[in-house]
Amino acid sequence: MADIRPFCMPKWGIEMTEGVLAEWQVAQGDAFKRGQTLCLIETAKITNEVEAEYDAVVRRVLVPAGGEAQPVGALLAVFAEAGASEDEIDAFVAGFRPADTAVAAKAGAPTPTPSPALAPARAEPVKIVTNRPISPEALKLAEMEGADLSTIEGSGRGGRITYQDVQQALRPEARPALRGTALLPDEAPHGSAVFASPLARRLAALHGVDLAGVKGTGARGRISKGDVLALVPSPAAGGAAAPFVPVDNRPQIVPFDGVRKVVARRLTEAKQQIPHFYLRVTAAADALIALRKTANLVLGCKASINDYLVKASALALVRHPEVNVQVHGETIHRFPHADVAIAVASPKGLVTPIVRQADRLRIDQLAGETRRLIDKAAAGRLSMDDMDGGTFSVSNLGMMGVEEFDAIINPPQAAILAVGAVTRQPVELPGGDFAFESRIALTLSVDHRAIDGAAGAQFLATLKGLIEEPEQLFV
Amino acid sequence: MAKMMYRDAVVSTIAEEMERDANVVVLGEDVVGGMGTAGGPEAIGGIWSTSTGLYGKFGKDRVIDTPISESAIIGAASGLALAGKRPIAELMFADFIGVSLDQIWNQMGKFRYMFGGKTRCPAVIRMAYGAGYNAAAQHSQSVHQMLTGMPGLKVVMPSTPADVKGLLRAAIRDDDPVIFLEHKALYGVTGEVPDDPDFVIPFGHARLSRAGEDVTIVSSGLLLGFCEQVADKLAAEGIGCDVIDLRSTSPLDEEAILDSVEVTGRLVVVDEAPPRCSLATDICALVANKAFASLKAPPQAVTPPHTPVPFARELESAYLPSADKIEAAVRKLLAWR
Repeated sequence: MADIRPFCMPKWGIEMTEGVLAEWQVAQGDAFKRGQTLCLIETAKITNEVEAEYDAVVRRVLVPAGGEAQPVGALLAVFAEAGASEDEIDAFVAGFRPADTAVAAKAGAPTPTPSPALAPARAEPVKIVTNRPISPEALKLAEMEGADLSTIEGSGRGGRITYQDVQQALRPEARPALRGTALLPDEAPHGSAVFASPLARRLAALHGVDLAGVKGTGARGRISKGDVLALVPSPAAGGAAAPFVPVDNRPQIVPFDGVRKVVARRLTEAKQQIPHFYLRVTAAADALIALRKTANLVLGCKASINDYLVKASALALVRHPEVNVQVHGETIHRFPHADVAIAVASPKGLVTPIVRQADRLRIDQLAGETRRLIDKAAAGRLSMDDMDGGTFSVSNLGMMGVEEFDAIINPPQAAILAVGAVTRQPVELPGGDFAFESRIALTLSVDHRAIDGAAGAQFLATLKGLIEEPEQLFV
Repeated sequence: MAKMMYRDAVVSTIAEEMERDANVVVLGEDVVGGMGTAGGPEAIGGIWSTSTGLYGKFGKDRVIDTPISESAIIGAASGLALAGKRPIAELMFADFIGVSLDQIWNQMGKFRYMFGGKTRCPAVIRMAYGAGYNAAAQHSQSVHQMLTGMPGLKVVMPSTPADVKGLLRAAIRDDDPVIFLEHKALYGVTGEVPDDPDFVIPFGHARLSRAGEDVTIVSSGLLLGFCEQVADKLAAEGIGCDVIDLRSTSPLDEEAILDSVEVTGRLVVVDEAPPRCSLATDICALVANKAFASLKAPPQAVTPPHTPVPFARELESAYLPSADKIEAAVRKLLAWR
């Protein structure tokens, strides 16, 4: 763009607000030299010559001589090089913004809206010509965004408009969310010496922490944020709930009855004297569950899963006679057949009636026998014959949802099987796919005095095999 | 709690400490007030009435009138402090510190460092500062920013009679040189003062005199009162201001300022010294450096312009920070977009 400059009504002295262009000494189109007289301007006090400050051409005269008084800052003429096009001069005149707002008011222009000084968005930067002090970057921004400088107060030295001033003027008005005053405990009520940072006292007020006596770890022994936060109870413990008040929790004293005395004595002896070890396996149970349905139908009985497990245990015991034993002092008693005790929760406590020679009973017979024993237990009428001896025990808490557990051996027996619930487990299929199957967790508690780990493990492997191929239970 | 004037808090604290510790001595121009006049000692009183009655109570060995030579007063105080006394030297006008600056800056402030920490210099230099008395450019200045910039000195600026009590006592009992700046316009201000003979306010603990959550205003001395007025006025509009009284500018309670800005996000520092290389700009820089992320608007400094204090009343009042200027700064921050 060519160098185009405005020629405005000058301000001579603090009182001058307007002046009359008395006479032009150059005409439109004339070239002039620095120092040449351009025109005569008349104020209320004097008439003065205006000299050119640079060489240029008078490209446009906007105010003819002898007209009305013009306010200070009003555009009187446009000077430029000869090369500047008429279009450029037109654009310059259209884009000119006088520094003094009095000019706009005088000219009858619409009063500029206070702020933001945002003119309608323009695609093209508008040339702003002003004689107000403004930094080059600020002017560039104002031109780019079409800011109205007359609404901007300069914050720079001597009222110079800075980049930040323009940027602020262009943004929408701020509406800060005020938070107002805070109620804080008094600083140090004179005489006491509690020195805390403002933030610490805010937090103390917020959380109801008494700062008296708090030891400060901040600068110069002052109580700081961290000291207060250390005293604030964690939100998890507090919350809005009413404070917890403990209620009366005295015990009801119940003496051991007969059964409990026996259970207590025998199990204490067992756990203290028998060196237990535990072996765990899980067995696939889908086949057993399926077979049970069919078998129960065929046999016309209501044998439970537990009955099948007792039967399986009994068969496995017969195949592993080193597990089918009793321990008496320093002797081991091996039995040819399996008397399997079943743990029954009776109203009087744990009882363990025995299914005699379970290996020889057909499943429907076994189911009938356990039913008979459970009914007697429920009625509290088990005899000594029903419970004496036994070579092995089965304890099942699976029906209660217990997945697996460890049982205590019932002396003089040397092993007990703890049976957990049937659960659905994902298993990997050949080919990397997987499927769910029913599995049952078994834990064998073993008396190491009589039975070694390997023997116990072999027994369990046999048992697992019988459960997973339950047809063998009918052989 | 007793009600007393700022100047009386000065006198009574000095008297109590002289009573408590025989090593405390007072020296300065006209501290006896009337020595050599027809009326004799104490006939006239010191110009600020900040040593009234001391001579009668403690005698000529402990209340010492000096020639009109600031270098002599501070030099003597330095020597007394090195010799185990606890001198309280008075400079009538802080403006006159220039001629004694070597004694303050190069001697007192450096003794502990030059002697490898093996000596101490428990001196207090009290001086009256500040404009507003139509006293022209040589009797109206605030010198704290210059002294705050000198390592080795502690600089204290109490704003209330109670703070005079607690801070002057701390200054007298301190083992390092302390500059104690009293604003002339505060001498006549009355306030509650605790009776506890051991009430001490440790240095570097700012006081939060108003609590609000929208703007932090930091000040000290006379201008604190203007800040409180503005805070009270704005509180009615729901604008909350934290007003922080620094109490001491060295050591500076950075935590109090930063903590507050962390909550408000807006800072106005109001100070009576001109703005270039000043306490106000120092605190603005501190916050810009250490709490930049909390700031919602640029920190504002309300200070006089970079000129000597004018003599004409109208110019002087235009020169000084006022409640209007502080309020405008707060509103500018709130309107920041």
